[in-house]
Amino acid sequence: MKLFKNCLLAGMTALALLGAAKITTAQETDQVGRSTYLEALKGKKVIFVPISQGMDLNQAWVVVWQRHAARYGFSLEVRDPSGDTNAGIRAMQGAIAEKPDLIIVQNPDVQTYARLLKQAQAAGIKVLQVNMQSATQTDSYVGNDWIEMGRLEMGELAKHCTGPNAVSHKVVWLAGVQTGAANIYMRTGIDEVLKANPELQLVSDQPADYMSEKARQITETVLQQHPDLCGIMGIWDNAEVGAGAAVVAAGKQDQVTIVTNGAGSATGCESIKNGLLDVIFNFNAPIQAEIAAQQISELLQQSGRQAGSEKTIFFGPITRVDKANATGRNCWKLDELK
Amino acid sequence: MAGSGKSDTARLGIKMSQELVVGAISAVLFLVFSATLNNFLSQGNILAILKNVSILGTLAVGMGLIVVGRGIDLTMVAVMVVGVAFSIWISTWGVDFTLAVVFGAILVAAIGLFTGVMVAVAEIPPIFATLAIASSVYGSGRIVFASDVLYAPSDIGWLKFVGNGTILGIPMSVIIFAAVAALMGFFLRKTRFGRLVYATGDNPNAARTTGLPTRPIIVTQYVISALIAYIAGIIMLGLVTGIDTRLYNSSLIYDVLLVVVLGGIGLSGGQGGVRNVIVGTILVGILTNGMTILNFSYTSQNLIKSVILLGALAIDAIINPRDEQTSQSGDI
Repeated sequence: MKLFKNCLLAGMTALALLGAAKITTAQETDQVGRSTYLEALKGKKVIFVPISQGMDLNQAWVVVWQRHAARYGFSLEVRDPSGDTNAGIRAMQGAIAEKPDLIIVQNPDVQTYARLLKQAQAAGIKVLQVNMQSATQTDSYVGNDWIEMGRLEMGELAKHCTGPNAVSHKVVWLAGVQTGAANIYMRTGIDEVLKANPELQLVSDQPADYMSEKARQITETVLQQHPDLCGIMGIWDNAEVGAGAAVVAAGKQDQVTIVTNGAGSATGCESIKNGLLDVIFNFNAPIQAEIAAQQISELLQQSGRQAGSEKTIFFGPITRVDKANATGRNCWKLDELK
Repeated sequence: MAGSGKSDTARLGIKMSQELVVGAISAVLFLVFSATLNNFLSQGNILAILKNVSILGTLAVGMGLIVVGRGIDLTMVAVMVVGVAFSIWISTWGVDFTLAVVFGAILVAAIGLFTGVMVAVAEIPPIFATLAIASSVYGSGRIVFASDVLYAPSDIGWLKFVGNGTILGIPMSVIIFAAVAALMGFFLRKTRFGRLVYATGDNPNAARTTGLPTRPIIVTQYVISALIAYIAGIIMLGLVTGIDTRLYNSSLIYDVLLVVVLGGIGLSGGQGGVRNVIVGTILVGILTNGMTILNFSYTSQNLIKSVILLGALAIDAIINPRDEQTSQSGDI
């Protein structure tokens, strides 16, 4: 009888506990503000107009943003003009006509989309520019501090090419596209360093158009003219491998320092290991993308704010990568980001 | 006697005029640069000039073959980048790279065959057929390969040799260009096929009426030009270790066409040969090299280049005016 009583008691206690647990589940507290956040992002439409999705940095951005979009229920459409400026203008016009909640744009140069971006803002569409700015400032810019980038790269060359031990004071600036934002601003940073180091001699300033073969041709010609060249700085690791190839072909890899910047993909690290490049100022495209993702969230949450009423800028990190640290997170692979 | 001799000289003059004009401009530029620029005349710089035009020149030899046959091949750059990118892409599956290059050549030949059939059998005007095919080839490549820039494996001995090797001090890229040009010259001048290409280009209808196999000839030309484009792509891969498919968006294909026309291969077909291509290539090479040394800005380089090219064409138009024959045979 006592046993029966005890069993009953135990059973009732168990039931009571179970019931209590159930109540706790039902009363689980929502993270403060989360439901508002979800509601603000859900069903929103974001259109991205890149320069070309074939570039490593673009692929990293979109992988990160797609994950963000899938997690929080907004749509991200990529309208890839594949490097064709006219197709880019059509993509921008199309995007504006569709009146999305946000347009993300990577400008091919400072002028091409300048008026279209004004139109978009006037139409009440928020605009986030990534890495390549337009002459028109919009709600937000996430990307490189290009003046600082120019300063860092030429500063690196100044370290090697000034002082008594330098092979010479001759340096080369292998530009990209002269009207591109990165190009224009980097030049400002370069000029600052050149001014501070008057012995540095800029012997060539030619655009390689982000093409490795063009970079190779320019470098080969310049090396003939200046066999004692000390350093080369460029704008994209995938193009400067051409400069590296010309330097290796001339057997001058120990004499010429090649500095460039890049998205931090593993191919850049490979180029360092193969001796084609010496230093990459890595702007880590996946981290850039995470910053931009938070900007997307902010702009989508502030639905009451008028497009273009407040303008913000976010500069991403820049890491100096050479043979010593060309590993791990400094060398991402796209598959690992997915 | 005297009269006929004079007319022979005049005919010879007309036949060679544009080539001579371009040759003379190159010579003048060469002298001016040699006199004014340090190290321009150095052995290293002369080799650099040749090395830097080897890709352009190789492509132009292929384009020359097509233009002689009264066609135009705008697919060359697309075929070059996609063919080479394709071979790198399949090598990433674990296929031996050399074997992958052979597969790439097969793909490229198939594209050339398709283009040739479209032009010769479906009789789509070559400028439209090749424009459309170029865009589809590049587009398909863009879908298949995730990235614009594809890198070859870094441990391929023969590819390194193509990029950095020399024979008797001459870079391999220059030797390959010279070999392709010499082979094409022999092909056009000394073989029956070559003579048939001229006949087809000079007057396709007459050639067909006479019973020449014009369709197979045209198809073969496009296959050959596609393979030559592929060779140019392999040279590039050797030189810079990777291939950038965005080259398709550059002005390279027009530069190739320019070299061909500038050298004196008329777009009306049936005239000119490899020598014209070489003359045009050398002018572009000297000009680019000199302006790079002078550190001219990109914009002024383009301006000077176009003024000189326009000048060459204008001088040719004066020496060799449009006549009844040109207007009858047609021109692009």
